[in-house]
Amino acid sequence: MTVVELREVTREHGQVHALRGVSLRVAAGELVAVMGPSGSGKSTLLNLAGGLDRPTSGSVTIGDTDLAGVKDLAALRRTSVGYVFQDLNLIPSLTAAENVMLPRELDGVRAGRARSEALAVLAEVGVEDIAGRFPEELSGGQRQRVAIARALVGERRLLLADEPTGALDTVTGDEILQLLRTRCDAGVAVLLVTHEPRYAGWADRVVYLRDGRIADSGDVRLESAR
Amino acid sequence: MSIRHGLLALLSSGPRYGYQLRVEFEASTGATWPLNIGQVYTTLSRLERDGLVAPDGEDDQGRAVYTITEAGREELGRWFSTPVAQTDRPRDELAIKIAMAVAGGVDVARVIQTQRAATMRALQELTRTKRAASGELAHRLVLDSLIFKAEAEQRWLDHCEAVSKEKNS
Repeated sequence: MTVVELREVTREHGQVHALRGVSLRVAAGELVAVMGPSGSGKSTLLNLAGGLDRPTSGSVTIGDTDLAGVKDLAALRRTSVGYVFQDLNLIPSLTAAENVMLPRELDGVRAGRARSEALAVLAEVGVEDIAGRFPEELSGGQRQRVAIARALVGERRLLLADEPTGALDTVTGDEILQLLRTRCDAGVAVLLVTHEPRYAGWADRVVYLRDGRIADSGDVRLESAR
Repeated sequence: MSIRHGLLALLSSGPRYGYQLRVEFEASTGATWPLNIGQVYTTLSRLERDGLVAPDGEDDQGRAVYTITEAGREELGRWFSTPVAQTDRPRDELAIKIAMAVAGGVDVARVIQTQRAATMRALQELTRTKRAASGELAHRLVLDSLIFKAEAEQRWLDHCEAVSKEKNS
């Protein structure tokens, strides 16, 4: 079952072609890693896949919904798409549990139910014991787990992760990938942007972006027939 | 790879017979470098010749048992305290291939991308094996060693690509 599909997607920023005709499909239970040098279009791809941005041409479909026909992308994002960024974006004045509750409350879910959902998903990612603490009282790995919990709460089937292992050491980074992998094996579709090959190694598929295009690995061609 | 020192290390925790050494060696390294029983016996007889191990009779099933000598323990101590030299590596075929591609009229970006895809497949395979090997710490660390090496190769390929692109533009 396809969770997100990009068809011939192009995104231009003025004269700059950030993406040129990219097609990509991520199925439920699949972890796809996107690699490429800076400026190759990785973040643009992630933003389009999650409905944070609209393509200049081509189409993006989440579940059965073509995003071109969606007026309120924010509402669709809150119910279908979870984001994990490198710079966590946890709100410092809210506890871990309150941070995870926030997207649900924005969706009109009552506080009591939002709270029990938040505690359940915090337990799933292994940090239920720090639910009442504030972000500054947590380690880097714990903060990233809370951010993943927030991205998962409310049955969202698509998780977009942009360098989620950012400043973490390799042991903690591996734990974060193990966690993403487990969520994936439970049926979530994960699109991961990373510049670290060791984390891309956790993916089912690895896609290389180069100058806004997906690079394929065909036969080596000689430039000149010498 | 030092089978000699691997066997000495295993014998340092007590006398063992040949087959047992093979099984324990493979358990520690996750059979990353399979060892045949012939190599074990050849190595044991050389260690015995060099005075680093000694025959220690037979067990109740008639298997020849070896024990580490004092000289063997000293040699093992030296091994653990000496860093491994970088110069022992054989010629690197990939580095030669990229160098030749840059020098000749070959599409370097293609050569790099083909290698990158293959190394990434190997990295995915190693990661899967590591996920399955949740129990044994020694085995996981051996797999990590191979993962870090594959990662270093990927980074070097990225570097080659960026530098050869600059040169061409």
